[in-house]
This record gives sequence, C-alpha cells and structure tokens, in this order.
Amino acid sequence: MINIESLKLNEFEQEKPSIDLANLSDSETAFVIDDLNLFYGDKKALSNVSMRIPKGQVTAFIGPSGCGKSTLLRCLNRMNDLIDDCRIEGDILLEQQNIFDRKVDVATLRRKVGMVFQRPNPFPKSIYENVVYGLRLQGVKDRRRLDKAVEESLRGAALWEEVKDRLHDNALGLSGGQQQRLVIARAIAIEPEVLLLDEPTSALDPISTLVIEELITELKKKFTVVIVTHNMQQAARVSDNTAFMYMGELIEYSDTNTLFTTPAKKKTEDYITGRYG
Amino acid sequence: MGNWYKSGSPWIWLTSGAVSVSLIAVLGLLSLIAWRGLTYFWPATIYQFELRLPNGVVEQVIGEIYEIDSIPAQRLRDNGTHVAADVEEVESLLVKTGNREFVELDFRWLLAPTIVTKQAHQDLAMLERDKNGNFYGYIEGLSVNNELQKGNSTSLKAPLLAAISRVNDLKDQAAELQSSAISSINYQLEKLRLKQRRFEIDNELTDAVLADLDAQRLALNNQYFVHEKALFTIRDKMVRDFVIVRDMRGEQVTLNLSSLLSLHLPNQMSWLEKVSHWFGAMASFVVDDPREANTEGGVFPAIFGTIFMVMLMAVIVTPFGVVAAIYLHEYAKKGAITKFVRIAVINLAGVPSVVYGVFGLGFFVYILGGSIDELFYPEASPSPVFGSPGVLWSALTLAILTLPVVIVSTEEGLSRIPMSLRQGSLALGATKSETLWKIIIPMASPAIMTGLILAVARAAGEVAPLMLVGVVKMAPSLPIDGNFPFIHVDRKFMHLGFHIYDVGFQSPNVEAARPLVFASSFLLVTVIVGLNMTAIGIRNYLREKYRSLEH
Repeated sequence: MINIESLKLNEFEQEKPSIDLANLSDSETAFVIDDLNLFYGDKKALSNVSMRIPKGQVTAFIGPSGCGKSTLLRCLNRMNDLIDDCRIEGDILLEQQNIFDRKVDVATLRRKVGMVFQRPNPFPKSIYENVVYGLRLQGVKDRRRLDKAVEESLRGAALWEEVKDRLHDNALGLSGGQQQRLVIARAIAIEPEVLLLDEPTSALDPISTLVIEELITELKKKFTVVIVTHNMQQAARVSDNTAFMYMGELIEYSDTNTLFTTPAKKKTEDYITGRYG
Repeated sequence: MGNWYKSGSPWIWLTSGAVSVSLIAVLGLLSLIAWRGLTYFWPATIYQFELRLPNGVVEQVIGEIYEIDSIPAQRLRDNGTHVAADVEEVESLLVKTGNREFVELDFRWLLAPTIVTKQAHQDLAMLERDKNGNFYGYIEGLSVNNELQKGNSTSLKAPLLAAISRVNDLKDQAAELQSSAISSINYQLEKLRLKQRRFEIDNELTDAVLADLDAQRLALNNQYFVHEKALFTIRDKMVRDFVIVRDMRGEQVTLNLSSLLSLHLPNQMSWLEKVSHWFGAMASFVVDDPREANTEGGVFPAIFGTIFMVMLMAVIVTPFGVVAAIYLHEYAKKGAITKFVRIAVINLAGVPSVVYGVFGLGFFVYILGGSIDELFYPEASPSPVFGSPGVLWSALTLAILTLPVVIVSTEEGLSRIPMSLRQGSLALGATKSETLWKIIIPMASPAIMTGLILAVARAAGEVAPLMLVGVVKMAPSLPIDGNFPFIHVDRKFMHLGFHIYDVGFQSPNVEAARPLVFASSFLLVTVIVGLNMTAIGIRNYLREKYRSLEH
C-alpha cells in the first residue's frame, strides 16, 4: 500500500473536506457522465461509464494502458468526433446540456472545454501568436486586449518570466517543458471552464514534470481540471478525486485519499500496489 | 573479399558511382549546350582565302571559319577529286561566306590542300543586315546625304557607324509608330467592324448608329493617314545613304543603309572589344525579334511566350491541385473510391503528353472555345476568337498535364503535418476549415511549392501538346500589349522549345541554324532553371517559416 502522505508535495497540497461524489448537486458538478458506451468499429472501448466530475477540483483518471481513460477524456470535448468509425451511446451533460445534442456546436463546446495533449503541440508560429490563436478565432482584434491576454495566460502557465523578452520568437525554439506550458497558456487564454489534460507530463523530464504539477494545483483555483495519467504518484500528488478504470469500465471512483489508502475493490488494490498494469 | 562485401563498401561505391554518372551526364550536357550556344556570339575572325582549285581556277573566298573536319581521302578520290596518294585524311573547313544574294549557299566547304593563302586582313568588315544574312567584304565608299566619300574600312568606320546609328534611330521611330499608334488604330478599326457586325446581328443597326460608326471610322482613318504619312517620311529618310563594299568576287556592291543593322571589323577588335561585342550580341539575342524565318535575330517573343504561358499555367494549376489534394486528404472518407481516385490521378501523370494535346484541341479549343465564340463573339464569325489554338488553351492543357504532380506533392505535404497540430487547433475551438486555413495550408505551403516547381519544370520543357493547342512559328504580336484589355489570352504565341524544333529541323538553312539551336536550348534551360530557382527560393523561405515539429 502506498503511503499517500509521503507522495504529496505537502507545501502546495491542502486537505479538502471530502465530498460525496455520488450525490453531487448540479451546481457543484462540471460533467455528468451517464451510462456511456463507446465503440471503435465493433470493438467496445468504454462500457457503462457513469460518474459526476466535480467543479473546481482536479479529477484524475488512472488505469493501465488501453483501459479507456484517454478515450473517456476525449469524449468530454468530443475529440472522438475526428475518428471515423467511432460510435457513442449515452449522455454527457455539461451545465445540464447534453454535449452530444444536435444543437450543440462543437467549436463552442471546445472553447468551454480546453484540452492539453500528451505531447507539446505548439503551432509553428511565434509564442505570442500561439497564445492568441483561440482569441483571434473568436474575432478579437484589439491589440491591448490581446497583449493583456498573452501576459495573463503566460503568467497563469508560469511561463511569463521565461519568455517575456522573446514573445515574437518561434515557439518551436522553446524546450519541451516550456512548450507544454505554452500549450496550457494557449488553452487558458480563451478562458475555458474545464481543462482536460491528457498525460501532460509523459513526454517531459522530471523537472518539467514538477513544474507542470505545481501549475495544475494553481490552475484548479480557476478551472475544473480533468487529468489522465499513467503515473499513480502523479495522480496522488495533484488530484482531489481519482477514477480507476480497467478494460473500458470504471472500477472505482472516490476521493484520492480514500482510493489510494483504502480502495474498495480488489482490482484497484492490485493495480495501485503494482501487481499489474 | 567476403568481408569487404559484407562491410557494405560495394554498395556505397555502387550508389556513389550512380550519382557521379548522373552528375557527369547532366554537367556534360549543360556545358556542351553552354559552350556551343555561347561561343556563337563571340566575334569570329574573318579570313580571306585564296584557293587554287584542281581545275586550275584561282578563286577568292571571304568568310568566318565555322567548323573544321577531317574527311577520309578515299571518299574524295571516289568523288573524283585529286588527292596525293600518301594522304589518308584531308582537313576540310566549313566557311560562312554570307552574301547570300550572290552565292548559292552562304556556307561552303574548303579542302585544306586547295587553300593557297589565308589571311585576316584588318579591313575585312562584317555587315549585319535585316535580309539575306551577313555581308562580308572591304568597304570602299560611303554616301552620306548624297556626298560620296572614298576610303577603306578603317577610315570610313566612324562615319559609317554614325550613319548606321542614324538609320537605326529612324527605324526605332518607325517601329514605335507602327507598334503603338498604327497598331492601336488598326485594333480600334477592327473593334468598330465587330461592333457594327454585332448591331447587325441584333438587328439594331439603325441609320443613326451607322452614321455614328462611320464618323468614328472616318476619324480613325484620318488619324491613320497622318501616321502613315509620318511613317513614309521616315522611310524616305532611311534610304538616303548607301555604302559601297567590294565582295569576294572583287565586285563593288552597293548596299542601302536601311538594310544594315550593324558594322563590325572583328579583325581589328581588341580582346576587350570582343568581350563587349559578345555581351552585346547575347543581349540582342535575348531582346530582339527573330528575322528571316527565325534563323537570324533574337528570340524575345519565344522567351516571353514561354514564361507567360508557364506562369498562366501555374496560376491555373496551383489552386486546382491544392483544392483537389485537400479534398482527397482532409475531407474524403478513406475508402475504396478515394483510393481509386488517387490511383487514377497518379496514373494521369503517365499519359503521353501529346495525348493531352489532342484532348486540349478537342475539348478546350473546339468545344469550350467554340462555345465561347458562339455565345460571346457572334460578330467575329466566321473567324474564331477563342475557338482557335491560343495561349490560354495551352496553359490549360499543360495545367491538366501537371495537375497530378501538384496533387501528389501537396498530399504528401498534408500527410507530413502531425495530427497533434490539427487536434491542438480543433481543441481551441477552431472549426475544420479554420484549422485548414490557419494551420494546415500555411504548413503545407512548402510542399505546394515543391509541386509547383516540378509542374513548372515539366511544363516549360513540354512542346508536343503545345503544337496542337497554341504554339506557332512566328506570332505577329505578344500576348500582352498596349491595346485594351492588355492581356490577350486568345492569341497564339511563340515558345522556346518549339523554336528549337523549328529552327533546328524546319529551317531552310541548316548550317546557319545550328548554333541558334544550341543558343536557344541554353536559353530554355536558363529560363527553366531561373523559374525553378525562384520557386525554390520561395519554398526555402516558407520551409524556414513553418518548420515542422521535430517528432
């Protein structure tokens, strides 16, 4: 059994009163996932997933490779639409609105639900242009507003001090960790409600990972954060709630402390003690 | 030996050998073309040969040595020429004698044994003319403003050059008058005729309209007579002076200065003068119009036509190819039909180009052009406007020919863009088309340029289809001129590739044309390399700008 306290980087992680994940009120909930099934062609990738993701907290999805945690995350801003033979059954509600509804505009949804990917993917443009990309899409032209957004977002992503003198240099000249923080800045520049992080540190070195983890605890003050990670220590360090998935099913979902110290299911215990995965 | 084989060295030698062979072949070809093409402009020494022919006749020949060849003596003996018994090979000189109106051929083979003396006299002059090729001889007199001066080439050089430059100025004036004022009036008269015909067809030709048209026509005609008079005055001034030259037959020939273009005394030239003459000759080859069935003068209309047509083609093929590639790669479902379409596109590149020419003639010229004429130019009937081969149809035909190249390389560029970038853009709330315009197309632009480079290289060298859809030996006017609407894509045009074929194989004067073939080939290669270098420059700039992620 992992000692959860020893894993936490205690100076930036405060204990929260644990909340009842099963009976969240609507105002406390960011996403309601209701009986979600997902198929790639004939293959079932998610089966009967139901959960509520709380607002203003960090929720982590963990599980072995291929368990469907990334797939579930990508459902939340409908990135799975890009896959030709992907079929989804069930509902996901964001603010009582089913995101699979015909009336929902995908672009608008994605503005509310930002996403950061496994590998840093800055556009081959300047740092400045990367950050304002989303704002420009929304038609913002006011130079002062853009400048302000760039500074705020880069500060929010803890990158401002490092790049403030070279905002107009190509973003591809940054290091991997800086690129990932730039991508986070780009995502928060459009002020989403939710930030999805898909294994954001798996391509980074330990120092950069640490910086990003610190950043996540900062981010949750303003955004709901959902993070997929294959690193259990990371989930333990940064998240408030953790969902353990296995073979496309949600096995256990509770606050992080409980899940890592007194897991209810045998499979969860086996996984977090390192018996498989 | 076995180890040497296993080490992979033979493979390296084989590959580097293949590269070397290709390089040597390309460089060898280029230097051959460059050498043969560029030495043509170097002022050759003019020799006077005294010949004693086997029948005892003594003859003078004046000319430039063009080529030196060895002929087996046996062949000459078989022809009945006397050759000394111990000789196996006889040197033979090809001499350009010029003076085409007095000799059968302006080239002549001289057998070395018949040459008694060979001297390069200082006073031997080469007079370039606008008809009948060069004239070689000694200048003996010059009449300027009805005053006859006697002298030799050296003493008369300065006044003769002055007189020639006066005539050339007059010629420029006449040409200017003809190409701007007179051609513009002719163009407007033709427009009036078509306008009247249009009214006739529409049954709206009332007396008032007719009177109006006649008044305009009269005004134009009056203008025309004024210009014509000016033109005749200039022409009268041109024929005032003449020069007397003694040719190789020893006879004095009077040449009117209006037919002369320039005078050179190559035997007196210093090395520096020769170099400047060389550059001057090359420049005039590039900027002058051709003369005498394209065997003399420059190739400007052909260069202009080639570049204009290729650019028009690039403007047509790029959007089409890019749009098609984007559809195939970004929007079309990955299925059997898409695969089939892609294979069909690639196979299009293998169709012989003359087939495209036939298609262009049938579809573009006759069907499309014919319909345009019927709909928009009924007044021009029966003479076609778009219904005959022209530069637009050539550009379109070549655009279809090069379409596969653009599609394939654009698609390759699109597939090199990492999926993560598309997702990054979509995740920020961009629609698919916004992602395309802001991320994908800019990033694919180097690949698009690569496709364009290949397309331009292919199109600029293509001749066979053009012979069916728009190229002519001699185009009376360029596709761009001063008459509204300035760009005339319905006109026929000249093309360097066709020019090479025409001069080299259709010319009445093969020997005179041969260096021109090399010079034109060199120019064509230069034009293509120039177009490609420009495109490569743009591509490298774009590549640097949109450097892709390194993973």
